[in-house]
This record gives sequence, structure tokens and C-alpha cells, in this order.
Amino acid sequence: MRKPNTIETFGILTLSALVTGCTGHKAKDKGEAKEEAKQEEPAAAEPAAAEPAAAEPAAATAEAEAPAGAQKTIGMSQCNLGEPWRVQMNADVKAAAEKHPELKVIYKDAQNDSLVQRSHVEEFVAQKVDLIIISPKEAAPLTEPVAKAVEAGIPVIVLDRAVLGDKYTTFIGADNVKIGREAGKWVAKTLGGKGSIVELKGLMTSTPGQDRHKGFLEGLDQKANPGLKIVFDADMKWLEPDARREMESALSRQKKIDVVYGHNDPGAHGAYLAAKQAGREKEMKFVGIDALPHEGVQYVKEGILDATFQYPTGGEQAIDTALKIFAGETPPKKIGLPTRSFTKDTLEAGGELIQ
Amino acid sequence: MSAALARARQVIASPVGRVLLALVLMLVIGVIFNADGAFLRWTTHRDMLRQVSVWGMLACGMTIVIVTGGIDLSVSSVLGAAAVAFSLLTIQEQWSPLVAIVLVIIGGAAVGAVSGVLVGRLKIQSFIVTLAAMVLLRGLAKYMSGGQKISTYIQETGQVVPLPPIFDRIDARVFGDTVPVVVIVFLACVVVTAFVLRKLRLGRYLYATGGNAEAARLSGVPVPRVLVLGYALSGLFAAVAGICQAAQEQQGDPETGMGYELQAIAMVVIGGTDLAGGRGGVALTLVGVLTIGYLQKILSINAVGEASRLMLTGAIIVCAVLLQRRK
Repeated sequence: MRKPNTIETFGILTLSALVTGCTGHKAKDKGEAKEEAKQEEPAAAEPAAAEPAAAEPAAATAEAEAPAGAQKTIGMSQCNLGEPWRVQMNADVKAAAEKHPELKVIYKDAQNDSLVQRSHVEEFVAQKVDLIIISPKEAAPLTEPVAKAVEAGIPVIVLDRAVLGDKYTTFIGADNVKIGREAGKWVAKTLGGKGSIVELKGLMTSTPGQDRHKGFLEGLDQKANPGLKIVFDADMKWLEPDARREMESALSRQKKIDVVYGHNDPGAHGAYLAAKQAGREKEMKFVGIDALPHEGVQYVKEGILDATFQYPTGGEQAIDTALKIFAGETPPKKIGLPTRSFTKDTLEAGGELIQ
Repeated sequence: MSAALARARQVIASPVGRVLLALVLMLVIGVIFNADGAFLRWTTHRDMLRQVSVWGMLACGMTIVIVTGGIDLSVSSVLGAAAVAFSLLTIQEQWSPLVAIVLVIIGGAAVGAVSGVLVGRLKIQSFIVTLAAMVLLRGLAKYMSGGQKISTYIQETGQVVPLPPIFDRIDARVFGDTVPVVVIVFLACVVVTAFVLRKLRLGRYLYATGGNAEAARLSGVPVPRVLVLGYALSGLFAAVAGICQAAQEQQGDPETGMGYELQAIAMVVIGGTDLAGGRGGVALTLVGVLTIGYLQKILSINAVGEASRLMLTGAIIVCAVLLQRRK
């Protein structure tokens, strides 16, 4: 066997870094494209408020108006089913679509590859589906395929991450700044304006991480509540083992911690495990974000987390909007999704809706 | 006096001495940047040991493979697949933990052995074989889990099952709540590796293969079989690491452990084991594990930002390797 030389060794490291880089970082790069979308924020807040209430009756009319047996085919292009949150999105679409037997949904998974996703959209157009739902991997490469589909007369609902320009039918997405703000407000209220906070951040080079941090600071409002102090913060890259590691450092530095805010539920859970091993889990409260039914909500149920704030997938709203479009309505250009908070008290009621 | 000095110089000049020097420097840095005394508390060191254990287990197997002149990139995915398989068997299928552990470990060793066959018998470069295995096994982990984390919440029924006690047992501390179980598992891996490399004929064969495979073959070393065993051991340690990872996360995450193979390689290389093969050992790797562990701990307790952390880690790895370079 030949010995690897320096160049080979270097190649090994870069190549494997590439491979892990591509498949890795399941990170919530979701909402990566939200930067652009955010500029339209204020205008979009109102339709968001009206949306859930309006959805039910509208869906009902759509059903009533659709001639019996008029089968509608929807093409659903998901950018990456490697993330639990996106698996949940597909599950939400499926659950909503199953209530309407006239809908047939075709699912495609682009496995985190923009070009594969592009060909999926083109296939849907060639297939002449009645509507496309796309949750794009990134904005630029998918803008044109989406525009072409719209030009071909197929309505396109863009979910979670935006595309550029305005050649799409409607955009449905949640707002990480708002969710972070709600978490911040909850912490400020729970602590009564005074206390030590540990913040375990998601990847701070990703938009969701930045937004969840920014919103949290807004919600805490340290000017009005000077007693609220972030005593330790670290980037845990959305990963539970990393969160646990950083939390152990926080615990060894800080004698008293009142609240741990994790940018996602696995992060908050990792922090809980660290605190539990140090015998200090009763001393503090744990707050997370995402509220997946089998993850964050479950942690609240088990008493591990004290609160979690939902980052909604919009799957249900996408199907509702699709039905409206089939019924001949023109949906607003942007539909903002409301979040829900889950605490011990609101768990039974399915969380508390925050508009 | 001068004799003592000369002797000290001699110790520092030896490979182990040079590696230890890097570790000692790291400890000095820790004492200087002690984060309000956090570095001086023993719990910090205990936590550090727990944190490096899983990486350390991978590094043990990696040492064996690197000694043969190869590389095993698949360890992180073996870890992920093992974590998922272990969680599936114990949480969802409620098998006896002992049976599950044995099966998962055998599975890991078998996967490693397959890589070993491809490298040893079919003469494909280890980098390509294990890169392929890395991708394939990550896929297997996602396939087995259906893309979801395997936790106590059963997706189909919406029911929650109790967490098997084995999870808490592996994640516990023993000897009066002082030593994490995973650290003991890690040290056991080190001992097994040291035994294989130093006491068994296989160990000599591994070094001989890495030193010069052709010469080894001519002098009667069954090179292909040696490689199969080497990679099988690496797979075995990775499976053990996967079980420990699942226990510490209380779930089987199909994405867990991504990038850990680079961490393990860095630990082996900082220890001074030669990537070209034929030289090095697990004692050196142990020092490498501690060096990286302390580096990360110091950065963490000082709440250093992610960007600076990456730059400092890179720079310090280079410095450490320079420090232990043969003159």
C-alpha cells in the first residue's frame, strides 16, 4: 500500500470537510432567505392575524364549490427531508390534504440540492400539475423555475423561504424575530424583570440564529428591565451535544442561573441534561424554540422545558391557501404565520396562539 | 544540577515529552485564562473528560487505522448509525440492553471489516472506501430512523414510552458521583487499543503494514487480514461511541456526530502519530485527546465567540504539531 503524501492528506481533510459540510449543518438554515422577505414585514402582519380564522370557512367553501370528482394535483417540492422540522412540514401538508379527498399531492425531496429542486419544479410544470408548493433551499437558483411555472399558468405557493422578485403566487412563512421576541417577553415576565440568563445560540452565521437572538433582546427590553442580565452566551450550532458542553461551562462559571434560553429545543434539552447532572436543574427555567410535537412539546409535557415557542411549518396553511386559489380567490402576496407558546398551563389546550 | 537539566531536556526531546509539553502549555493557558476560577475547579476537568470521551473512543480506532497507513472517515457515520440502531432496539423494540449493545457493536465491527476487505484485499485507497462508507452509513442512519430522532416518543402512536434505564446508567457517574461512566468506557478503549498495539502479534503486524506494506508481506505478514482486523476494531470503537452518544443525548439522532471524524484525526495527529503510518501509539493519542479537550474547554468557559474559536483551534493545532515534530 502506498503511503499518503502531504497533498493527499490535505485532500482528505478538505474533501471530508466538504462532504460533512454538504450533508451536515442540518441547521435551521430554514428561513435563510428571510432577510429579503423581512422588508415587507409590517404590511404582512395583518393578513397573518386574519389567516387562521379565515382558513376554515374558506376551506369549506372551496370544498363545496369544487365540482364533485374534480381531482386536483398538487406538486410539493421539499428542499431537504433530512431535517425533522421539514419532515414535520410534509406531515402537516399531508394531514391537511387528507381531509380533502379531491386533492392529490405528489411529494419530491431535493436532498438539499438546489439544482435537483429546480428540476423537480420543471418536472411538475411538464406534468401540468394544478398547483405547486415549494419550500426552496435557497432564493436565487429557484427564482427562475418558479417564475416559469407561474408563466405557464400554474400557481406557486412558496413556503418558509422566499424567492427573489414577485413572480410567485404567495409566500407563507414564519418570523424568527417575532418568535425570539415572544421568548424574550416570556422570560422578562417570568423573572419579574430581574435575573441571570444563559443564551445558547444557534449558528450565528445563519439568519434564523441572528433573528432569534435579535428578537430575544427586543423582548427582554434590558433598558426597561436593567435587572435582566445575559451572564453567559455561546454558539451551540443547533446541536444538542454542543449545547450540553457549553452549558457545563456556564454552570461552572455561574453560581446562579435563572433562565436558559436555547435557540432550539434540542439546545434547551441539552442544557437541561447538563444542569441535571450538576444537580442544579431545579434552580432554573428552560426555554426553547420550534415546538415540534414529538420534541419541544413533549419536553414541556415531561417537565423538562418550561416553555417552547412554535416555529410553524405552514403546511396546513399551504393547503388552505391552495384550496382558496382553486376556488378562484387571489391570496395576499405574503402570509405571515402566527406562533404558539407551549407551557405547562397551555399544553392541554394545544398551546396559546400569539398573533 | 546540570545533569538534572540535561535529563529534563532529554525528556522534553522524546516524542512523549514533546506531546506532553503541548498539553502542559495548554494547562498553563487554562490557569491564566481561568474564567473567574472556573478552570481551577475540579468539576470543570471532570466535565471536560466526559466531553472528550466519545471523540476519544473514535480516536482509539483512528490510531489503529492510521498506524497501518490508512484513514477511517466513516467513524462518525458508524457512530450515528449505531446511536440510531441502539435507540431503536432498546427504546422502541424494548430489547434487553445487553443484547442490543452486543448486536450494535458486532454491527460496527462488521461494517469496519467490510471497509478493511475493500482496502486490504481489493486494494482500494482507504480514503475512498471510508468516504463512501461515511456517506452510505449516514444514509442508513436516516433510513432506519425515517429521518426522525428516535426518542421515547413513538411517532406512529403518539405514545411516550419510558426511557430504558441503560441510558441513565451510561450517562451516570460512579465512584461517589465523581467519574462519568463514559470516561471509564473511553479509558477501557485506550487500554484495549494499547494491548492490541503493544502486546499482540497483530499489533506488530499493524505497524509493519503501515511502515512498508510490501516489505511486511514479503516477510510473511498477512497484510489483507491485518487490515480487515484494523478497520474492524475502528468500527467497533465507533459503535461503542455511538451507544455512549445516544445515552448522553437520550435519543438516537440520525444526524449526530457529523464532523467527529476530523476531530478524531486531529487528536491522533496532535498526539504525534504519523499520518504516513508505521509510527505512533495510543498513549500519544490520549495526550492529544486531552490537549484538544482542554483547548475546547478553555475556549468554552471563557465564552469565546465561534469565529475566534475556529481560528484559535486551527492555529493551536498547527502549533502543537510543530511542537512535537521530529528534529
